Formats: sequence, C-alpha cells, structure tokens
Amino acid sequence: MAADGQPSRKGFFTDTSVCIGCKACEVACKEWNQVPEDGLDFLASSFDNSGRLSADTWRHVAFIEQRQPLGHQDPGVGRPEGGAGDAPGPVDLGMPSFDLPGQRTGEDGGSGGGDFRWLMSSDVCKHCTSAACLDVCPTGALFRTEFDTVVVQEDICNGCGYCVPACPYGVIDRREVDGRAWKCTLCYDRLGDGLEPACAKACPTDSIQFGDLDELRERAERRVEDLQEAGVSSARLYGEDPGNGVDGAGAFFLLLDEPEVYGLPPDPVVTTRDLPSMWRHAGAAAVVLLAGAAAAFAGRRS
Amino acid sequence: MPTHYEPQDTPFTNPLYGHQRNPTRLLFQHELNRYHPAPDTPGAGVYPYVVTTYRLTEHFTAGGMSRWTPYLSELQPEFFCEVGPELAAERKLEHGGWATVVTARNAVEARVLVTDRMRPLRVQGRSVHQIGMPYHWGPNGYSTGDSANELASMALDPNVHIQEVKALTADIRPGRRPRGRERVALVEEYRRRAGVTERTGTED
Ligand code: SF4
Ligand code: SF4
Repeated sequence: MAADGQPSRKGFFTDTSVCIGCKACEVACKEWNQVPEDGLDFLASSFDNSGRLSADTWRHVAFIEQRQPLGHQDPGVGRPEGGAGDAPGPVDLGMPSFDLPGQRTGEDGGSGGGDFRWLMSSDVCKHCTSAACLDVCPTGALFRTEFDTVVVQEDICNGCGYCVPACPYGVIDRREVDGRAWKCTLCYDRLGDGLEPACAKACPTDSIQFGDLDELRERAERRVEDLQEAGVSSARLYGEDPGNGVDGAGAFFLLLDEPEVYGLPPDPVVTTRDLPSMWRHAGAAAVVLLAGAAAAFAGRRS
Repeated sequence: MPTHYEPQDTPFTNPLYGHQRNPTRLLFQHELNRYHPAPDTPGAGVYPYVVTTYRLTEHFTAGGMSRWTPYLSELQPEFFCEVGPELAAERKLEHGGWATVVTARNAVEARVLVTDRMRPLRVQGRSVHQIGMPYHWGPNGYSTGDSANELASMALDPNVHIQEVKALTADIRPGRRPRGRERVALVEEYRRRAGVTERTGTED
C-alpha cells in the first residue's frame, strides 16, 4: 500500500538467467485466463512453437541457440557462498560432462567445438507507464487499474484495432474469431483477491517474479551485480529504467544478450509521444494557410 | 564383475570384452523384428547413424494424455528429429522440412530440426552422427505423428526385460516416407542391401 491508501504499483521482474524453458508460464496463463489454443504450428525454431505474443499467447517463451560459451552451467551462480540466511548454498549435483578430459567431441575438434548456449526468456506485456495502446483506445476499453497495470475490458472493446499498431512492443493483438483485442491482464482478477499472477505462481525457478515494482527494481539491480561479479558480464536489465521511451515498464527483464537477440525492440518509444507536437505543427500549418488565404483576398481587394 | 556390452544395434565393436553383445539378452526372431548387421561386416554401413530417443517437457510417455490436450499439443505439435548441421549437409536435410528415418523394422517420417546441440560422436577414431528423436507421437489424438518406437527392435535385457530404445542405428533421407505397400517395400529394399536375414544380429 502506498501512503494514499492506493495499492502500490505491481509488476513482473522476469530473470531470464534462471529460466529453464519449461513453458509452465504459458500453460498456466492459458488455463487461468481461458485463452484459446493458438494453432498446431511446428516452427523449427528450437523448442519454441508459440513464436510470438499474440491475442491467444500472453506469455511467450523464446528459445535462442547460440555458438557461445555458457561459462558452464554452474549451480547457484550469483548466490552467496553457503546461502543467504536460511537459503541453502549451491549444490554440485556431480552431473557428468560429455567431453573426454582435454578433448572435444565435435568434428570441428578444438576451437569453439563445445561452445553452445541456450537462452530462454518468457516475454509478456510490459504494462508501460506511458502506454500507447491505452492512449489511442477510443472506447475506454483499455484502462489503467488501481495496481497501475494496463487491462482491456473485453465487454467494451469494439475491435477497432487502433491499439495494435500503437504498441511499440507488438504485444496487443486482435483475436481472429471475435475481432477484439486481447493481451496479458497481469491477472487483474487474481490481484484483486491478493493472489499473484498465474505465470509467476507456476514458474518453478522463480524466473518470473511478481511484486511491488519499486522492490522488484531493487532486487533486479542486486541480481545483475551478483551475476556481473560471478563473471556473467553480459547480464543486463531491460525496460526497468523510468527514463526510457515508455517511461519505465511495469514488466521488465534481466537478459544475457542484446534485446534484439530475444526479439525485443532495443529502444522502444511510446508511439503517441509525438502526438501533441504533431497536433501543434498541424495547427500552426493550418493557421499559416488560413493567414495566407486571407492575405491573398486582402491583397486582391486593395 | 561389471563389464560392458555394446547395444544390439551399434556401429562400434566392443573395445572392452570379447563378447560384442550380452549373450543372455532375449531375442525374438520375427519378420517385423529384424536386427542390424554387426559392425565391421558387409551391410553394416546401410544403417550408418546412431539414433537415440528421449522425452520433451511438454509430453508424457507416448502422449496418451498430453497429445489430446490443446495447450500442450500446441507447444510441441509435431514429431521431429534433431540432427547436427554436418549430418544435414551430408544427407541434404532441410531445416523445418521432412526426413524419413529407416531401420530394418520400419520407416518413419519426422520434421527436421537442425541444431548445434546434436554433436557427432567421436569413437574409436571415427566420428558418427547422431539423430535425436522424442518418442511421444502416435497415430491418434489431437497432435499426431509417426512413432519413434517403430524403429526400435525387441532385444530385451535379461534382468528387467527392457528393449533398446535409447541406442539403435538407422539411415536418414530427405522427404516424407512412402505410404502403404511402398513403405514396406522401402524397408525391404534396405534389408536386401544390408543382407539382413533372420539370423542377422543373433550372434553374441
Ligand atoms: S503499449 Fe504494448 S506493451 Fe505497453 S501496455 Fe500496451 S500492450 Fe502492453
Ligand atoms: S519463465 Fe519459469 S515457467 Fe516460464 S518457461 Fe521459464 S522457468 Fe518455465
């Protein structure tokens, strides 16, 4: 609760460094929100057959295969030695390696033969501070909730589709069968009952963390520092900065590579940002035109 | 004393022990259960690659429940085989296209996933390509496909009677499999080239 009695702003911190690609978040989201199946399409895109966020996919787990060293899968990377407080420390399960000592198995032998890493990342609506989808909605179907999240009311949406090109992340989408716009609601109904969203509840590794946005931002800063210290120099946050193009996202991410690698826009800007200045310019142009026309008449008369 | 036996189907001779295969394994001589020639014999090269089968997170056993569930079927909608880029180039397999995998038992078709995760094995100084196949599909349900188990032989271990579905050999070729009688003809043609008879692979 904030001081004014309103609930504090809620959001997601998705820490992709611990995502195991189980897709429990995708299924839990669909089960809770009764989102229809999105088609049996084999995409040949590693183990990802959802492809992207859409009207019928509100969580999407991307799988990216890279020929890059992983730094090996050390258990508990970035967790303090011996565990913090009551938490157990990292445990070496003694999993076998596939290499003979000093030998790579690949045909290409030595150089880079064993370098491979699999990036997995669960994407979702960003619940932008400055949300273009909400700005352009003519019916008021899209609204900002008391949790500072952005939700479509399905009984008000008339399917005009303005919000679809307005979203700088390509999140919101119209459902073919009914034409209406659908997207993640951050489980508005569950929040009202004091529950966390279904995806965060289902995530077995806590890759998806739900909570007060302020607290999540602090937690994420600490996590990046820990990872950097542990040698994962590519760890970075995406969307957490209140000074970014959407004035800070309510759902932000910890990534291990450039956002483009995950299919995320590197520097999204709320598409309605320039609207006031566009109207000002159009207004100025109209005034100049009118003045010109008036001057032409005035000139002729004299 | 612990020892090592090679699987029933294998491209390699046993480096550890005089007996190639477990002499107490259970064999079934049946026309639908032919075994592959021993390594280093003529015909062994007809089934040159190693096949292994495994599970996916999204499906449960042969898919009897999960392939009927739309939310799980859409996440893994089709039977596929995983091959490394080297094998894909060698056999002209197209990423996202179809491939047919053939053994002396049957021929199945699967979509192709070319991935760096499938690395060739380097054994006895030679490198052999692997084909990875999830075994969750079958002809009925919401998401359907060929079954990887069709490729395996029935050669059971003497203790708990489990067949060898994790290690077998096969050939792979681009395109979908023939249907009906032509599917049988394809399997028979491979058997002829490999010289497979009812005695093949029954030696220890
Ligand atoms: S603009 Fe896009 S990402 Fe932002 S709240 Fe709207 S749908 Fe979500
Ligand atoms: S975010 Fe969590 S639930 Fe979703 S795929 Fe990753 S580990 Fe699984």
